[in-house]
Amino acid sequence: MNFVPLALYAAAFVAYGWHFARRAPAVGRSATTILVAAVLAHTFVIGMETMESGQVPVGDATSAISMFVWLLAVSYLYTEVTTDERAMGVFILPLLVALQAIPAFRPADVVRASLLRGPLFGIHVSSLLLAYASFALACVIGITYVLLFKEIKAKHLGFFYARLPSLQVLDKMNQRAIVFGWIFLTVGILAGAAFAFQTRALPGSADVPQVQAMSLADPKIMAALVCWAVYSFELFAARRIGWGGRRAAYLSAVGFAIVLLNFVPISYFFTKSHNF
Amino acid sequence: MHLLLVGISHRTAPIELRERVDFHARGLEHALRTLAARSQQGGELAVLSTCNRAELYVACEDVETARAELVSFVGSFHGVEAAALEPHVYHVVDIEAARHLFRVAAGLDSLVVGEPQILGQVKEAHGAARDAATAGPLLNRLFHSSFAVGKRVRSETGLGAGAVSVSYAAVALAKKIFGNLDGRAVLVIGAGEMGKLTAQHMKSQGVRNVTIVSRTMANAARTADAIGGATAAPWDDMDAALVASDIVITATGAASPVLTRTRLEAAMRQRRSRPLFIIDIAVPRDVEAAAGEIEQVFLYNIDDLQAAVRENMARRTSEVTRAEAIVDEELDRFGSWMRARGVIPTVVALRQSFEAIRRAELDRLDFKLSALPQDARDEARARVDEITHLIVEKLLLTPTEQLKSLGDQETAAIYAEAIGRVFGLGDQSTERGLQDGGDADTRPERPSGRVQPFPRARTRGGQR
Repeated sequence: MNFVPLALYAAAFVAYGWHFARRAPAVGRSATTILVAAVLAHTFVIGMETMESGQVPVGDATSAISMFVWLLAVSYLYTEVTTDERAMGVFILPLLVALQAIPAFRPADVVRASLLRGPLFGIHVSSLLLAYASFALACVIGITYVLLFKEIKAKHLGFFYARLPSLQVLDKMNQRAIVFGWIFLTVGILAGAAFAFQTRALPGSADVPQVQAMSLADPKIMAALVCWAVYSFELFAARRIGWGGRRAAYLSAVGFAIVLLNFVPISYFFTKSHNF
Repeated sequence: MHLLLVGISHRTAPIELRERVDFHARGLEHALRTLAARSQQGGELAVLSTCNRAELYVACEDVETARAELVSFVGSFHGVEAAALEPHVYHVVDIEAARHLFRVAAGLDSLVVGEPQILGQVKEAHGAARDAATAGPLLNRLFHSSFAVGKRVRSETGLGAGAVSVSYAAVALAKKIFGNLDGRAVLVIGAGEMGKLTAQHMKSQGVRNVTIVSRTMANAARTADAIGGATAAPWDDMDAALVASDIVITATGAASPVLTRTRLEAAMRQRRSRPLFIIDIAVPRDVEAAAGEIEQVFLYNIDDLQAAVRENMARRTSEVTRAEAIVDEELDRFGSWMRARGVIPTVVALRQSFEAIRRAELDRLDFKLSALPQDARDEARARVDEITHLIVEKLLLTPTEQLKSLGDQETAAIYAEAIGRVFGLGDQSTERGLQDGGDADTRPERPSGRVQPFPRARTRGGQR
C-alpha cells in the first residue's frame, strides 16, 4: 500500500522541479495538489495500519520512517501554506521519496512488542519524529540559504537568486525549525529516558535484551544525544556568538546528517536497544 | 465593425513631439469626451497615454475616415499641425490592433522591455474610457484580455524580473538580503549627489533612518536636509554608525579606501555578524576589496551593480519569445471571440425562427388535443413540448458550433447571409448583426411565416 504515496510523492517531486525551473504558477498549484493527494493517501495507509494493529504504527524502524515522512510532508505543506513559498518543495520532496521507498519496498511488521506501550512511549516516539521532521525542514532551508548566500557573495545573481526568498527569511525559517525541533528532541529524549527506567523496573525485563541495552553505550541513544548537543550548540551560537546565517545552515546540515544516520543505518544494523 | 488603433510612440516620434501629445496634461476623460462629442463614427473610444506613447483605440465602421478624424483630433487637441504629426502616426486594424495592445500591456513594446508600470497605465486607459462611458463591449473585452496578457507575462515569464537600473539593482539586492527594508538603517558615507540619490531611493522603499557621515559636517547636514528625515553625524562617529546600520552606501572622493578590512572586521564583531550590505559607488573605490571576504559582509561596487543590470537585461531579452507566445495564445482567444461575436445575431435569429415554428405547431396541437380530458391533455402537451424542444436544440447544435468556429469575419459574413436567405431570417440578422456585435438588445424581429424567394441568380458572364 505504501507504493501509492511513494508514486504520488515522486509525481509531486517532478511537479515541484518543473515549477522551480519554469516558475509557472499553474504548475506550482498542481504540485501542491499532488502533494496534498500524496499526504491524504499516506494518511489512509497509516490509518489502515493503525486499524490492523490496534495502535499507531511507530514501534519498528520502518513504520517510524513512514510516520516521519508523513510528518515531514505535513510540516512542509504547513510551511508552504503559511509563507506562500513553494521554492523549498523541490528540495524536500527528494527526501520524502527516498525515505518513503523504505516502507514501500520493505513492509513493516505490524506486530508490536508488548513492552512498547504506555503514554511515555507515545510521547517519546511522537516527539522525536516531530523533532526529526523539523530538523529535516531546517536542513533543507539551510541548504537553500547556502545556495543563495554563495550567489550573492559571488556577485552572480542567477538561478537561485531569482527563485528563493531572501536570506533573512530563510535564516528566520531555519531558526524557527531548529527551536521547534530542539524542544521536541529534548522532550523525546527525556520521555525515552523515563520510559527506559520504567521498563527496567518491570518484572521479567531482565530477560529482554533490548531493555538491558538501553544505555548511553547504545549507538542510537548516543547518536540522539550527539544530535541534541549539536542543535543546542547551534541555538546557543546563533544567539550568543553571532553564528547565524551560513554557519547555522551548515550546523543544520550536520545535525540532520546525524539524524539520518541514526534513523536508517543505526536503526537497522547497529542498535541493540531499539530493534523490537 | 473594425477595431482601429491610431498612435505615436517612442518608435516613431521624437521626444519633442511625444511631450506635446500628452493626454494626461488635460486629463484622459476630458480628451475622451471631447473626441466623443466631435466623432462622426459614434463608436467606442479609449486613450492610452504614457511618456513613451499616445494611442487611441476606437471601434469604427470606416477605417480611413476614422483614422483621418483621429489624427485631426490629436492635432487640434494638442495644438500640433497635422503635417508635423502625420509622418509619425501609425495605425493598425482589427486583430493586429489587438496584438499591439497585448504586446504593449506585456511590456514587449516598451523602451525598457518588461518595465512594470505599463500594465497600470493600460488599466488607467480603460478606467478612463469606462468613466467617460466611451468603452463598449469590444473595447471592454480588448482591454480585459490585455490585462490577462500582462498578468500572465509577469507571472509565467521572467520578462519583468531583475532590476534594470543601478539604483533599483541596489534596492533589489538589499531586499534579497534583508527581506524588506522596513525599519532598516542606512549609513551614507560622503555627501555627494550619487550617495544622496541612492539613499533617497532606499528611503522610499521603507528604510527607517538614514545617517550621513562626511568629513565636513556642514555638507553632511545639507545632504541630510535634502534627503529629508535623515541625520548628519561627524566623521569620527563612523565606526559607531557602522555597527548600527544594515546598509552602507559609500560615495566619497577619497583617494584611498575609507573602509578597510580591519575596520569592518572590528565592526562585524560588535554587530555579532548581522548581515551588512555595502554599496561602494565611489571611483576610486572606498572599500577594500578584501572586506568582501568577511562572513556576512556583502560588498558590491558600481561595476558589480552594472554587471547585474546587464545580466538582467540579457535575461529579459531571452524571455521575449515566451512572452510573445502568451500574446499569441491570448490573441487566438480574442480573435475567436471577435469572430463568434459577428455571427451571434444570425444564431439568435435562427433559433428564434425555429422556436417560432415549434410554438406554432404546439398551438395547433392544442386544438387537436382539446377532445382529451384535462389531465391527459396537459401531460401530452408537456411531453410533446419537451421532445420538440430537444429536437430543435439538436438540429441547431451543429450549425451553431460551425458558425462560431468560422475562420475570419469575411467568411462569417458570407455564411450569415447565406443562412439568412436559406431560412428567411431577413437582413437584420446578417448586416446589422455583424455591425452591432450581437448584443442581447439587438435581436432581430421574429421572421414572417412566409419565406422570401431568392433573387434571380446571376451567371458569371453577367445577367441572362
